[in-house]
Amino acid sequence: MSSLRGWKPWALAAAVLACGSLALVARNDYLLQVLFRIVLFAGLGLAWNLVGGFAGQLSLGHAAFFGAGAYGFALLSAASTPRWVALFLAAVVAAAFAGIIGRIVFRLRGPYFTLATIAFAEVLRLSVTNLKLTGGAIGLSTPALFSGRSTWGMLYLSAIALAVTAFVINVYVARSRFGYYLMAIREDEETASAVGIDTASYKLRSLLISAFLTALGGALYGSAFQFIVPDSVLTIDISLQMAIVTMLGGAGTLYGPVVGAIMLLGAAEVFKNQFQESHLLVYGILIVLVVLFLPEGVVGGLQRRFGGR
Amino acid sequence: MTTPLLELRNVSRRFGGLSAVKNVAFAVGNGEILFLIGPNGAGKTTVFNLVSGFLHPDEGSIHLEGRDISGVAPHEAARLGIGRTFQLVKPLSGLTVRENVMLGAFMHTASADRAAAEAGEILTFLQMEHLAAQPARGLPLAVLKRLELARALATRPKLILLDEIVSGLTSGEAVTLAGLIQRLPERGVSAVGGVEHMMQVVMKIAHRLVVLDHGVKIAEGKPADVVRLPAVIEAYLGPKYRELAQ
Repeated sequence: MSSLRGWKPWALAAAVLACGSLALVARNDYLLQVLFRIVLFAGLGLAWNLVGGFAGQLSLGHAAFFGAGAYGFALLSAASTPRWVALFLAAVVAAAFAGIIGRIVFRLRGPYFTLATIAFAEVLRLSVTNLKLTGGAIGLSTPALFSGRSTWGMLYLSAIALAVTAFVINVYVARSRFGYYLMAIREDEETASAVGIDTASYKLRSLLISAFLTALGGALYGSAFQFIVPDSVLTIDISLQMAIVTMLGGAGTLYGPVVGAIMLLGAAEVFKNQFQESHLLVYGILIVLVVLFLPEGVVGGLQRRFGGR
Repeated sequence: MTTPLLELRNVSRRFGGLSAVKNVAFAVGNGEILFLIGPNGAGKTTVFNLVSGFLHPDEGSIHLEGRDISGVAPHEAARLGIGRTFQLVKPLSGLTVRENVMLGAFMHTASADRAAAEAGEILTFLQMEHLAAQPARGLPLAVLKRLELARALATRPKLILLDEIVSGLTSGEAVTLAGLIQRLPERGVSAVGGVEHMMQVVMKIAHRLVVLDHGVKIAEGKPADVVRLPAVIEAYLGPKYRELAQ
């Protein structure tokens, strides 16, 4: 992990400025929408990385928090909460929900943990599909956070803000005792508890932060498309994509989720235009290649090969 | 009489119908090095798991400095001053040697710099400071055993449990490691070790031995006395040798 500690704030600032300025240059809504998705998933990947990467808990239920954020935002706004308040309040609610889920699922380990996270997310999806309050399968309309001509530009900038926040949290985690404790839990829970780590509590803390960030992403997503249905924000596809983006780039690394998001969502966009329906095939091949040749993800694999670790 | 550091009072633990540990009682004093000896399956590891909170006794109680710690969780036991190593070494292989030891030191400080400094001091004590930057992955067993000890020491325990700490080592490696264990009381750390083989090492560094056989304590005392007891010889070598010993 030594290379984790070698991050340079100025490089980050430069990258953020460069990405941000695209919002001014690009007058094309399609392009901005693609960029929005890529950056949003970079942020989501970084959020997932705390639990799935550092703590090594392979959650495939993060769609629950994403959806909770989106639905929370829509419902709170409908109850005439100011939009930005609703956005953060929804994230708090999602984190509280994560606190309840976490207490239960973290009792399980390995594949059983993963299955339980899927089950929880599915239960939530089915509940939302059948509740009147949430508009059932028809869904809810979600208020726009921004109005005017540059809506996509502003959304894109909000996604950057989320991704940067998530990145900075990852940096903090990587260098702090909290991060070391999560890595110890990932490597071996018995050893972790033998050096005094309350493993249940630390896993839960990582999940709370992760769920909060994920819910912000969900709310942004809902606001971008102004309409949400269970099958768009609570589907397992969201959970899978968060996990795949991170693992493809390198779980437990700082840049992995960003690289993974650019690769996966960028490739998806390019191939969609180039290969039409066969883009899913290319997508699959990409994943297989990384798994075969860079099982620790692109960033993880490169770090191992060229210095760092 | 002063309160012993650790005291087991008639501790029993069953797994299904099998009594892994039955009515075991012994005490460990401050600055003492005590070894549990006994053949495979005697209950040594169960005792370690009971003391370090990984298992809880069905009957009896365990006391640290007089305080009942029978039901505590493993991380609480660690925070109360019970460090442990594992029979099957468990290095955190994605981390370096120093980072492994830092994990222990983090119990007392949130600062990574201070934890690194403390880890450095312990690595020096265990004569492995030159390995600090190595990843734990792929290190030889002798080093990993020492790393287990280092990580546990970094939590600044009052008592350290060394489960089969010398097993799998060559006798040369075992003697080196024993020399380090012998110096633990200098740091104010008592030790309870557990071994099946390598008796020559134990005889040299243990102040006292507790002999377990099938979960029952069959003898306790100074090493030189204990190994002469017929019951001990029988447990190790079988009843045939009992008469020879007498």
